[in-house]
Amino acid sequence: MAQGNQNTVVMELRSISKNYSGVPALTDVSLEVKSGEVHALLGENGAGKSTLMNVASGTVAPSQGELFVHGDRYESLTPALAARLGIAIVHQHPAVMKDLTVLENLQVALPKEIFKGRSADKVGAELLERVGLRISLVQRVEDLTIAQKHLLEIAKALATSPKILVLDEPTAALGQESVALLFGLVEKEIAAGTAVIYITHRLAEVRELAQVVTVLRDGRKMATSRVSEVSDSELLSLIIGRELKSAFPAKHKRDSQAQPNLVVRELSGDGFTNVSIEAYPGQIIGISGVVGNGQSQFLKALAGQSDFTGSVEINGKASSARELNGAAALMPADRQREGVMMRMSVRENSALAALKKFKTAGLLSRGKEVDSVHATLTSLSIKAPSLEAPVSALSGGNQQKVVMARALLSDPVVILADEPTQGVDVGARSELYEILRQASKDGIPVVVASSDAKELEGLCDTVYVFSRGQVVKTLRDEENSEEAMIEAAVTSTAKSIKIEREIREQKLGNETFGDKFRRFLKGDYAPPALLTLVMIALGGYIASTSDTYLGEFNINSVLVLVSALGFVALGQTTVMMTGGIDLSTGPLAGFLVVIASFFINDDSPAVSMILGLVTMIAAAVVVGLFNSSLIRFVKFTAIAATLTTYIAIGGLSFILRPNPDGYISGDVSAFVNQSLGAIPYAFIVLVAATFGMEYLLRRSKWGWRLRAVGSNEESARRVGVPVTRTVLGAYVISSLFVFLGSVMLMVQLGVGDASQGVGYTLTSITAVVLGGTSLMGGRGTYVGTLMGAVLLTQVMNATVFLNLDQTWQYLLQAALVLIAAIVYGVARNRKARLKTA
Amino acid sequence: MAQTSAAVLSKGPRIQIAKGLMTVLVSSIVLFALSFVAAPSSVMPSTIQSMLPFAAILAIIGLGQMLTIQQAGIDLSVPGAVSLAIVIVSHEPNGDNSKLLPAIFLAIAFAIGAGLINGYLIGFLNLNPIIATLGTNALLYGAVLGISQGIPRTTTSLLYSVCNGVTLGIPHAIYFALGALLAVVLMLRKTVAGRRFESIGASAPVARISGLRVKTHQGLAYVWAQLFYCLAGILLAGITNQPTAFMGDQYMLPSVAVVVLGGTSLLGGRGLPSATVIAALFLTQLDQFVLALGVNFAVRTLVQAAALAIGVAIYTVDWARLRSVLKELLSGQNRRVKTSLPSA
Repeated sequence: MAQGNQNTVVMELRSISKNYSGVPALTDVSLEVKSGEVHALLGENGAGKSTLMNVASGTVAPSQGELFVHGDRYESLTPALAARLGIAIVHQHPAVMKDLTVLENLQVALPKEIFKGRSADKVGAELLERVGLRISLVQRVEDLTIAQKHLLEIAKALATSPKILVLDEPTAALGQESVALLFGLVEKEIAAGTAVIYITHRLAEVRELAQVVTVLRDGRKMATSRVSEVSDSELLSLIIGRELKSAFPAKHKRDSQAQPNLVVRELSGDGFTNVSIEAYPGQIIGISGVVGNGQSQFLKALAGQSDFTGSVEINGKASSARELNGAAALMPADRQREGVMMRMSVRENSALAALKKFKTAGLLSRGKEVDSVHATLTSLSIKAPSLEAPVSALSGGNQQKVVMARALLSDPVVILADEPTQGVDVGARSELYEILRQASKDGIPVVVASSDAKELEGLCDTVYVFSRGQVVKTLRDEENSEEAMIEAAVTSTAKSIKIEREIREQKLGNETFGDKFRRFLKGDYAPPALLTLVMIALGGYIASTSDTYLGEFNINSVLVLVSALGFVALGQTTVMMTGGIDLSTGPLAGFLVVIASFFINDDSPAVSMILGLVTMIAAAVVVGLFNSSLIRFVKFTAIAATLTTYIAIGGLSFILRPNPDGYISGDVSAFVNQSLGAIPYAFIVLVAATFGMEYLLRRSKWGWRLRAVGSNEESARRVGVPVTRTVLGAYVISSLFVFLGSVMLMVQLGVGDASQGVGYTLTSITAVVLGGTSLMGGRGTYVGTLMGAVLLTQVMNATVFLNLDQTWQYLLQAALVLIAAIVYGVARNRKARLKTA
Repeated sequence: MAQTSAAVLSKGPRIQIAKGLMTVLVSSIVLFALSFVAAPSSVMPSTIQSMLPFAAILAIIGLGQMLTIQQAGIDLSVPGAVSLAIVIVSHEPNGDNSKLLPAIFLAIAFAIGAGLINGYLIGFLNLNPIIATLGTNALLYGAVLGISQGIPRTTTSLLYSVCNGVTLGIPHAIYFALGALLAVVLMLRKTVAGRRFESIGASAPVARISGLRVKTHQGLAYVWAQLFYCLAGILLAGITNQPTAFMGDQYMLPSVAVVVLGGTSLLGGRGLPSATVIAALFLTQLDQFVLALGVNFAVRTLVQAAALAIGVAIYTVDWARLRSVLKELLSGQNRRVKTSLPSA
């Protein structure tokens, strides 16, 4: 039904199917999206909504079917092509980089044209204004709440003025005000003729916002209808009419005499609040709700993995988090990461929590262990090649049985299963249900959280429905049904737990001087400022005891030493920004001097000298490419790759110069050593290079990309950063800076000596660390590195003036590194702790 | 509910040989065979006899390094630790045999102290292991120079005879290395703490969920490592008549190399002690072999680098995928062209 010219079809998905290794995620789904309309996609978790939208936005290629965008036919899209076609997607998990500022996150992700001709601050402020995000542009994204990150993600999507906007559960993390604002925005987009696809779990939102609704179930399209022509109950029945595929064990018959064996009273913690539940012997307790409404956090707290307030009583005994940790068995939802140790054997995985049982005379008895594990796994009907096979060789269902075996073997006080059947085939599901039922019969309280309401209906006796961290409905015995659960979840109007931070955010728009100062202390430039103070204090102290300390000669010689180290350290900083490390810098510096010693001698003609420099540069580039190729293409860790290069370059140097030889031209040395008063020109170049790099790091696309890769590689890829090219570039730049450093080293050594230069690896890392650059990548400054290099050299020089021996040189160096690392690290850790509090 | 269908679950072989151990074992056999053919002088009994103690020392240091690497860490304080042990046992007694034992206890005390510093910084303050151990290394060298003033002293006659002795035709250092290996294997495979330690390395998140004390184990790895460096330092002090204060330097890179060659991942995971020890033998013999071929020191380093690169690539490259990609490139080129036809 066409409604005037405005509602033309802008995108059509035709008969889309997608299989993941044979398992269908989507089967023959067709969808038409019209401009000026909100098209809602409804369905349970795992119904295929997100997969369909990943196909539409180019992150997933369909196995079958075709797409039409603006009338053109495509078999599949890529993220870049989708962006060109005007398709923008707001992911369920925001693709933001925590170490970058809000503005930088916008700049790295958005095309240049958006910022053209106007100041970036202005554009950024406008974009935030649009989504009602009242935060400072220079704030680090790490300090944002989840809701704010989502709004930022939405701001990014809207900035490109998309023709087709996909919103994947945008309100899951938003507070009431933000939701209203978002709806306003969507309506504005619609009025402007944008087509909006809106994925949600909540019927109320569909009613309020959408004109058309499509329901998916088990990867198939159930129906498409105009919202005005369908009732809530019709929609509900479309969502939940899933066939019951698994058989469930018989339920528990309630005994009116029984005392509860698990009583949780008013439990509050990170992500959930005021939750009270109780279980009677033989009962299985279900925790229902849309994924991410605090269910997992609640189970983790029950397992003693996080702090809580309130009380937990098991079999009449009150337990603290400390006591629960290890005694309660938690089967986590993220099986791949937290459930099984992929490369360890089935036996080792199963026995992990019960090792103490297998001791004989202090040592583990293999026989006992094998027998016990074998018996349990056999009773669970596991299908595995053998006890010694790696867990990674098992199917999802059998991996889950291993997790189950670990739980059972540990004789737990309570079993907490989070999404126990996710990624488990139908046959194994029924078996898992049987096992849980049996454990419950044996008197162990069992709590199961699942987003599959059908499963909870079949398996559990009492179900608690969670929404936004609170229990919104308790369904006992006969009340327990899928309809009741979904109705409670989708009609819930529970408000998010107001976190103190969110209230604080309101006033962040106009910062006071105190706020700015606090932000500076947490920021990248605090370390260099701190180092400057230390340098002035140390310099002042020594100058008061010695006349020659501030003399031209001493200053000059210190700064010459700084220059060589400084250049190498600038290169190291670049690599560390990406989260890597370059151990080969030291040997490379020495190697380049060795090369120079063949070309740049007293009697060599100018051509030879130029050729020498060109060869040095070429060698540096080759080494940079070699390092980064090993890392990106052969998947070496940065340490393994650059360690290999480290050893190899050392060998090459000795092949070229078995003994020190090849004296460097005196003219060249004199040229490089020229000074302006006490200040060597080389040092001036170093300072200029430092500030140049600093500017690029903060203000250029290259700099944002570099830090984006170090901050979060996956997010960087999603916003379109060419990750491999960025990393390759970083190692080449590192090597080129080593070249500049090697020119200084060449002049200092005056001869080709293969044994020199190696020490620069560790010294350069030390300088970078002093400067506050994080080895985890994503954050740091070049200025800090320069300061680090100066301070390090100054301290070594100071030992001469203070008559301290070599022992002190080492001790001072150690003190500098450790104190710096602890001070910076503790400052950052405290921030992280505040965020989770 | 116990279905009979799965009652056939096999208990698996009693003894399993890891891929890493197999690789390094085969490589070593090939190397010795090659030495026998191409450079017989490198496998003469006398050469082997003098090579073995150094292989043993590298093996002991490698075992220590392995314990930190399997916890996804790395220990850059090897040079300082080894040097400090050397200096303490050669300087404190100053040739007096009766003072040797107290000196050894002092060295062990220092090692535990250094390990606790590293472990605390990394396990509990969450410092990056590279930074923390770099700092500790400087600290240890401060102690080295504080004690020795950089001047070497001759080791005591007792230490010399213990370390250089030969029993049943085998140099004593080998017994120490085998003892260390046995201790590590026994700890890792046969004690509750060791099995937990190994699991934490394999996956800290799983261990945390299971209620294990992840930080404590990660921190203690550095203490165990220091004890091994200490043992190696003491042996080194005895074997070399007049050890210098900087002898530990030459063990930094090889200590990482043998662990990596042995198949333990730098990202953490299962540690392979036997493979690490054999890798130490391999690397030391590789040195001897290249030396016997008459090529210079430089080529030796290049060969080492190549061995390391190949050793890592065996584990990092997804060979099955590479094969299938190659196969596709060779046979299915037409198909590829068809599927990537532009459709717009």
